[in-house]
Amino acid sequence: MIQLEKISKWYNTNGARNFVLKDIHLDIEEGAFLSIMGPSGSGKSTLLNIIGMLDTSDEGNYRFFGESVFDLKEKKRTELYKKNIGYIFQAYHLIDELTVYENIETPLLYQDVKGSERKAMVADMLDRFNMVGKKDLFPSQLSGGQQQLVGIARALIAKPKLLLADEPTGNLNSKQGEEIMELFKKINTEDKITIIQVTHSEKNAAYGDRIIDLLDGRIQQNIQ
Amino acid sequence: MLRNYLKTAFRSLLKNKFTTAINLFGLSVGMTAAVFIFIWVQNEHSFDNYHPSNQYIYRITNTINLGTNNDTWKWETSPYNLGEFALKEIPGIKNLTRCGNVNSSHNIIYKNRIIPEKNCAYVDSNWFSVFKYDFVYGDPSAFNNNNYAVAITESKAKKYFGTANPIGNILKIDTLNYTVEAVVKDNPLNSSFQFDIMMQMGSHITQPRVAKNIHSWGNFNFPTYVLLQDNANVQKVTGMLNAIMNREREKNSANTTLQPLSTMHFETDLQSTSLPHGNRKTTYIFSVLGILLLLTACINYVNLTTAKASLRSKEVGIKKIIGAGRKHLFMQFIVESFLISIVSLLLSLLFIQLLLPVFNSITEKQFVLTLFSFTMWKILLSTLIVATILNGIYPAIMLSSFKPIEVFRGKTILKLNDAFVRKSLVVFQFSLSVILIIGSIVIFKQLKHIQNSNPGYNLSQVVSMEIPYNAYRKLNDEQQEHFFAAIRHELLNSGAVEGLTMGGDQIINVGNFSSGNVDWDGHDTAFQATVSPYSADADFQKVFQLQMKEGRWFHEGKEDEHNYILNESALRMFNMHTPVIGQRFTMGGDTGKVVGIVKDFHYQSMHEKIGALVMKYNNGYDSYIFLKAAAGKIPAALQAAATTWKKFIPSEPFEYTFMDESFDRLYKEDRKISSLVFIFSIIAVVIAALGLFGLAAFTTEIRTKEIGIRKVLGAGVQSIVFLLSKDFIKLALLAFVIASPIAWYFANKWLEDFAYRIDISWWIFAITVVLAMIITIVTVSSHAIKAAISSPVNNLRSE
Repeated sequence: MIQLEKISKWYNTNGARNFVLKDIHLDIEEGAFLSIMGPSGSGKSTLLNIIGMLDTSDEGNYRFFGESVFDLKEKKRTELYKKNIGYIFQAYHLIDELTVYENIETPLLYQDVKGSERKAMVADMLDRFNMVGKKDLFPSQLSGGQQQLVGIARALIAKPKLLLADEPTGNLNSKQGEEIMELFKKINTEDKITIIQVTHSEKNAAYGDRIIDLLDGRIQQNIQ
Repeated sequence: MLRNYLKTAFRSLLKNKFTTAINLFGLSVGMTAAVFIFIWVQNEHSFDNYHPSNQYIYRITNTINLGTNNDTWKWETSPYNLGEFALKEIPGIKNLTRCGNVNSSHNIIYKNRIIPEKNCAYVDSNWFSVFKYDFVYGDPSAFNNNNYAVAITESKAKKYFGTANPIGNILKIDTLNYTVEAVVKDNPLNSSFQFDIMMQMGSHITQPRVAKNIHSWGNFNFPTYVLLQDNANVQKVTGMLNAIMNREREKNSANTTLQPLSTMHFETDLQSTSLPHGNRKTTYIFSVLGILLLLTACINYVNLTTAKASLRSKEVGIKKIIGAGRKHLFMQFIVESFLISIVSLLLSLLFIQLLLPVFNSITEKQFVLTLFSFTMWKILLSTLIVATILNGIYPAIMLSSFKPIEVFRGKTILKLNDAFVRKSLVVFQFSLSVILIIGSIVIFKQLKHIQNSNPGYNLSQVVSMEIPYNAYRKLNDEQQEHFFAAIRHELLNSGAVEGLTMGGDQIINVGNFSSGNVDWDGHDTAFQATVSPYSADADFQKVFQLQMKEGRWFHEGKEDEHNYILNESALRMFNMHTPVIGQRFTMGGDTGKVVGIVKDFHYQSMHEKIGALVMKYNNGYDSYIFLKAAAGKIPAALQAAATTWKKFIPSEPFEYTFMDESFDRLYKEDRKISSLVFIFSIIAVVIAALGLFGLAAFTTEIRTKEIGIRKVLGAGVQSIVFLLSKDFIKLALLAFVIASPIAWYFANKWLEDFAYRIDISWWIFAITVVLAMIITIVTVSSHAIKAAISSPVNNLRSE
C-alpha cells in the first residue's frame, strides 16, 4: 500500500543541512497497524505528515497504491488524499462552531455526497459510537475523550483506507486512552482499515502489530 | 453546501460579537452615505430620459454673436416663428413644441385669497405629444382645443379641488379664467420641466402686449423642442434651421444648433436659464466620495478579518485536512462577507429611512425610499455586490491559502506583507479623514470670513419688498411719482420705520451689467468699460450706512437728476481727470457730473470681485423698497408694510424678505457644501476610528503575553500604553503627511472660486494633526490601558 524509498527532509541552517528525516525506507501493507515511536524531535510527526500528504520530502520517493505521490498535481493528490486518508489529532481539532453532527458530516460535504446519503452515513456513525444523544452539542460541551471520539468518527465517515493518528491519546487520561486504543484495534481488525499512529507510550504502541523507532530522523528499530 | 456555509458564517459572526458589531456599524454607516450619494447621482444622470422618444428630442439653441470682444450669448430660447416655419419646412422634424414664461410666478385667485404659484409655464398644443405625461383626469385633446385650458399636477389638483375630479372647474390665474382640462401625475424628480401649472400657449400669445411682438424675429422668448424622425440627419436639420433664420432675420448673427434633451441637464454655458441644471463634475466628485466612503468602511472588515486570521487559521487548517478544497474555503469567506454586507445593507435601509428628510432638505428634492423602484434595487444591489467583493476577496484569498501543516506547526501565518497591506489600508482610511477634516476647516473658515468681513453696508433690521411692475405699469410718470410718494408717506408715518429708501435692485446681488455704455472726459473710446448701473434715492446711503470717500450723496429733488456717484473700483478703472468730483459723466446718453465717490461695498457675493458700480439718482421711486425698522419694532414695521401693501397693491400677495437673510442665501450653496463635507468627514472619522478600535483590541489581545512578561520585568503602565499606541500613531502621522498636500490642493481649488478668500494657514494643518493624534490615542489607549493595568499573572496564565 505504502512504499517510502530513501525519504529525506532537512532544514538549512548556516549552510549546513539539518536532517529531520534521513534515508527512510518503509513498506506498509494494507491492513497493518503501525506505531511510530521516538523522542521529541525525532521526526515522527514529520514522517506521518509526509505519509498523510500534508508535507513533502526534499528527497526520495513515495508510492501510495502504486501512484507516485510527489509527482501528482495538487488537485490529483487532494483527490487521492480525500478518498483514502482520515486524520486524527492529539488536540482533536474539531471545528468549534459546528455541532457533533455537523463536525462528522463536514468531510462528506467536501466530497459532494448527496444529502440523504449523508444523513444515513452520519446517523450510522453516531449510532456506532453511541453519540446519538450528543449530536447537537458543540465540542466545548464535551469531555476530551468524547471529543476524540468525534474526531475519530469524523476521520472514519468518508470510509478511508488509511487512518493516521498523531498522538491520539496525548491529551486524555489513561482510561480514556485505553478505550481509544481498543477502538483502534477494533477498527483495524473488523473494518480492515490500515492505521498508522505516532505515540510516546510503549503501552499504546503495543496495540499495533508493528513498531518502528525513530531517532534523529533515522529508523532505529523495526519490530514486526 | 450553501446552507453549511451560511451556518458556519452565521455562527462565526455570532461568536466574534465585538468585531461583528464594529463591522456592521461601520459598514452600514458607509453604505448609508454611499447609497444616498448614488441615489442623488443616479437622479442627476437620468434627467429627462424617461420620455419614450427621448433620444430623438432636441432643444433649439441660439448662440448670438455680440460683435465686441468675441462675446457670445447662448440662449435656450428661440423666436416664436422659428417653430412655425421649422415644423412646416423641415421634413426631418416629426413634431415640435414650445413653452413660454418657464417657471414664472403667477397668482391663483382662489376663494378670495391670492396664492402665488412659482412653477407655471405656457405650453403649446404639441407639448403632451412630444413629452411623456401620465394623465390622471382629462386628456390632451381637450387641453389642445381650448385656448384657456390649464393642465395641473395631481398634488396641485388636490390642493385646490380636493380628491374630486376637477375637470371642468375654473381656476383664476392672475386676471384670466382657465378651465382645468387635464390633471397629470406629479413631475418625476429627474424631469427638467417641474411645471405644476401648465396654461395653454394660446392664452399667452393672444394677450395684446404679447401678440404685438409675437411674430418678431428679434424676440427670443420661447424654448423650442423638436422631435426628429428616426432617420433624420441632425446636421441637415441644423442647416435648414439656420437657413430659415438667415432668410427671415435681418443681419442674422445667431448660430442655431440642436441640443440633445439627454444632455440638457448638464449644460453649463447658457447665458441664463429658467430650468434647473446640474453640474456633471460635482456628480463625479460625489460618486468618488461615495465609493471612497464605502471603501473605507470595507477596509475595517478586511483589516479585522485578516488580523483575526491567526485565530481562524486552525479552523481553516482542519477543514483542509478533512478534505476542503481552496474553492470551498474561498466560498465560505465570501459567504461570510456577503452575510455581513447584507445585514449592513438592511441596517442602512433603516438609517436611510430615518435620514431621508435631512437628505431631502439638502438636495431640495423629494426622494422617497421605495422598494418598488427598479432604480432603487439597482443601487442597493450594486452597493451590496461591491461591498461583498471589497470585503470578501482579499481575506478569502489570504485565508484560503494557508498551508495546514504550517498552522499546526505553530508557524506565524501572518506574513509580513499582510501586515503591510493592513497598515496601508489604515493609512488610506486616515488620509481620507484628514483630507475631509482639513476641507471642513477651510470651508468653515472661509464662510466665517464672509460672515465677519465688512460688506460695506449695514443690513440689520432692513426689510425689502419688490413692488410688482403690474401695480404701476398703467400709470403715467406723474401718477407713478404720486403712487410711490404715497407709499413712502404711509410707511414713514407708521412710527415703526426708522428709514426708507428705494433702489433698482437688491443691493446685495446686483445682476445688471452694461458694456460700452459710459463716457467721460479723457475717455479712451477704444476702452469699453463694463459697469453695473444702479439707481438709488437720497436716503439710500443713510439706510444702508454706506461710507463716502469723497464728495456727497444725492440730494432730494431735481438737483441730481442727471448726476452720478461712482464706487472706488469704478474710479480706478476709469482713470478720470482730477479732481473727479464735478467731472462730466455720461451713461446711456444721459449726461451729468460726478458728485461723490462711495467706498467699495460688496454688491455681489464674495465669489465675485467688486467691479465698477455707477449709481444714478432715481427720482424717489424704484422697484425695490427697503425699510429699516426702528429698534425693537420689526413686527410693527412688518404690520405697517402689510397694511400699506394691501391698500396700494391689493391685487398682489404681500411678499417681503429680511435683507440679512437674503445675504445669507447668497452663500446657500457654499453652506450646503460645507455641511456635506462636514458630515462626510464625521462619517470617515467614525469609520476609521472604529476600525482602529477593532485593530487595537486585536493587537492588544495577541500581545497579552508580551505585556505580561514586560510587566514582570518592571515596565510601568505608561511605557506599555506607549508601546501599544506608537505603531498606530506612526500610521496616523504618515496619513497626515500623505493627505496634507492633497487636501491643500483641493482646498485651494475650492477657494479659487472666491474673489475674497482666506489664506490656508499652517495652523489648520496643526489643528488637524493634533485632532488626528487625539482620535488615534483615545481610540487605541482604552485597550492599551486595560491591558497595561491588568495583573501579569492573569496574562501569563492564559498561555
